[in-house]
Amino acid sequence: MSFLSIDHFSDYKVHGAQRPDFSPYESNGGSIVAIAGDDFAVIAADTRLSSGYSIHSRTQTKLFQLSPLTVLGSTGCWCDTLSLTSLMRVRMQMYEHTHLRTMTTDAVAQMLSITMYNRRFFPYYVSNILAGIDKNGKGVVFSYDPIGHCENAKCRAGGTAGPLLQPVLDNQIQLKNMNLDEKDKPILTKERAVSVASDTFISAAERDIYTGDFVEIKIITKDGIESMTINLRKD
Amino acid sequence: MALAEICKISNASYMRPTAWATDDVNELKSYASNFENPYTLAAPPFANPVENLNKIQANADKTGIKIEFDHGTTTLGFKFKGGVILAVDSRATGGQYIGSQSMKKIVEINDFLLGTLAGGAADCVYWDRVLSKECRLHELRNKERISVAAASKIMANIAHEYKGMGLSMGMMLAGYDKRGPGLYYVDSEGSRTAGNLFSVGSGSIFAYGVLDSGYDYNLEDEAAQELGRRAIYHATHRDAYSGGIIRVYHMTKNGFKVISNEDCEMLHYKYQAEKAAQ
Amino acid sequence: MFNNGIVQPLWYNGPSPGQFYNFPGYANNGNMKQCHETNNSDSTRSTAMITTGSSVLGIKFDQGVLIAADTLVSYGSLSRFQNIDRIFKINDNIIMGGGGDFADIQSIMRSIDQKMIEDQCYADNIAMRPKALATWMTRVLYNRRSRMNPLFIDVVIGGIDENNEPYLANVDLRGRAFSDYVVSTGFARHLALPLVREKKPADRDFTLEEASELIRQCMEVLYYRDTKNSSQYTVGVCKVKDSTSNQCDVEGPFQVDEKWSFAKMVKGY
Repeated sequence: MSFLSIDHFSDYKVHGAQRPDFSPYESNGGSIVAIAGDDFAVIAADTRLSSGYSIHSRTQTKLFQLSPLTVLGSTGCWCDTLSLTSLMRVRMQMYEHTHLRTMTTDAVAQMLSITMYNRRFFPYYVSNILAGIDKNGKGVVFSYDPIGHCENAKCRAGGTAGPLLQPVLDNQIQLKNMNLDEKDKPILTKERAVSVASDTFISAAERDIYTGDFVEIKIITKDGIESMTINLRKD
Repeated sequence: MALAEICKISNASYMRPTAWATDDVNELKSYASNFENPYTLAAPPFANPVENLNKIQANADKTGIKIEFDHGTTTLGFKFKGGVILAVDSRATGGQYIGSQSMKKIVEINDFLLGTLAGGAADCVYWDRVLSKECRLHELRNKERISVAAASKIMANIAHEYKGMGLSMGMMLAGYDKRGPGLYYVDSEGSRTAGNLFSVGSGSIFAYGVLDSGYDYNLEDEAAQELGRRAIYHATHRDAYSGGIIRVYHMTKNGFKVISNEDCEMLHYKYQAEKAAQ
Repeated sequence: MFNNGIVQPLWYNGPSPGQFYNFPGYANNGNMKQCHETNNSDSTRSTAMITTGSSVLGIKFDQGVLIAADTLVSYGSLSRFQNIDRIFKINDNIIMGGGGDFADIQSIMRSIDQKMIEDQCYADNIAMRPKALATWMTRVLYNRRSRMNPLFIDVVIGGIDENNEPYLANVDLRGRAFSDYVVSTGFARHLALPLVREKKPADRDFTLEEASELIRQCMEVLYYRDTKNSSQYTVGVCKVKDSTSNQCDVEGPFQVDEKWSFAKMVKGY
């Protein structure tokens, strides 16, 4: 074991040479919203990839389709997102080869939790939301903390504008504190879920610098996944 | 020779390992090492993860990098003549932000064993899952259910193994075995205590106040359930990190029963009305 | 020569790519250094960039990609090596431009060259494609960063993919990768990126002529405004030759068309 470093050889020090202290994490921004309906799930994410004040790309999708019934939205440290999602893809493929069937959304949700917990002491810096159709044909949404705590929810917002978007979803989708009678509650249709999701993003783009450019929305039903893209502010 | 090396031709080993055991697969397994053995987590690239993870986040205000884990908060449990009562809130906070108002802080390990979670939610849920596997294995090996004492010892051993690495757990394990009702407190420091009455989490001081003034071993079932509920309600009222739904579970000799899942806001008005009526 | 701090450092608190100014006394995240030092089991990690290359700029056009970088490699503020090509031809489908620590770039290039030799040994008429190389680079760089021992490089990878479509991507020292019609590293991210984005037609790709004109303009701006740029640059071109083959060349060095007549107009310094 040697403790010698450049600091011990002052003659060899290069003044002015850049010594960037290395941080393994970087926040690359982006937001996700997911809503679960009776027989569908909607998941949306913006497409801006940035760090600090510079925008690297305006067209980076943050939604990863893992199976015909499951979509994972992931933001945070983009290099962690890339690693985690490709690891998920590989493990799902291995499952498919061993068991000759596709993993159900519930199984994927549990596997994601365990995969993330493996890095308990050096976490993936990501905010994950998983949406899909479960084994009973119902729409489901799972949200995660950085070390893999998984919670089933009806609607969830995550990423840099998560705290901005979640209250809107609580109000519009869960109808929290609205004191409505059962008969007055609007039915959550696909159309309404999509319009609430896109509206929240339009609003988030006004107030969060890391959210903007486009919002990609995926509507998951048992018959397949429908995709659409809506313009957001680009400033 | 160089060409042979490049082409990975070697005449040294006649019987080569199968494709399944190549380096690529091993590397892949190392990324998900806890799939095969849940106790094997990835080692961090630095010693002392508690200190170093904090250093990475020290510039949070400039970099925006702040790893907030979900944290759970007020939980309580007590033994009485009818079994064990567990009552918990459902708020999960990541820093100042309420990450969830509907978290399940009682984990159903099996029909005769419940765990409450306070501290890092992921830590508690993950290790409870491991514990539930161990309990099932115990049942299969020994043809009888595991005792609460043994189950809590498994958990304490896990906690002790990872002591100092930054796990954050404060859990109660409640169950019913041949020795009767069992209640243990286990935390991430590795301590394990049997007892009649515990409360864990930031709201525990408020819960203790209510609990101590109303507790009696000879309470009737309904009164005991109400005591647990009321203690959590008062904790949610005075502790900002507690709130949401108040869940009450009752462990009896026939397994656990879910008594109630009530929003603490509803309870607040109910208790107010009762007070006004008096 | 540079001993014990009697001599003033040549480059003190100057701007570095991605930062505008280091204010004196402002230690940028000084904590992480200790983080390395606490781990005594490994003292080989590099925590500094010593000889550095500046920006790289890549632009995609309808038939291929262009990647440009100047030929300067600096040693602190010293223009240490003035004639080094930082654009590399990987094979007939891929070109790569590297910024950051030049030693680390040379190291990764040795690995890539080795990979290419292996690829050729198969003689199966299948050559690596840019996306495969970019993905491989993310794995190498991510693994290094996860060991807290990063390669301090920021690369632009471009070329022609399996469908004869141009591909252009950027991979940074953490293994963060993305693909776009224009990518850049270092100062070009601030100076050149807006110039290219401004000229992008909404309905189509750039043509080769437009892209090369943009490269010329951007390298000029970079030369004027980035103190660690030289007036000489090389450009890697990768384009579709016919339906079955592609062509990659590193062209240049070109000279920035320096015009200093405006200098007397600049006041206030």
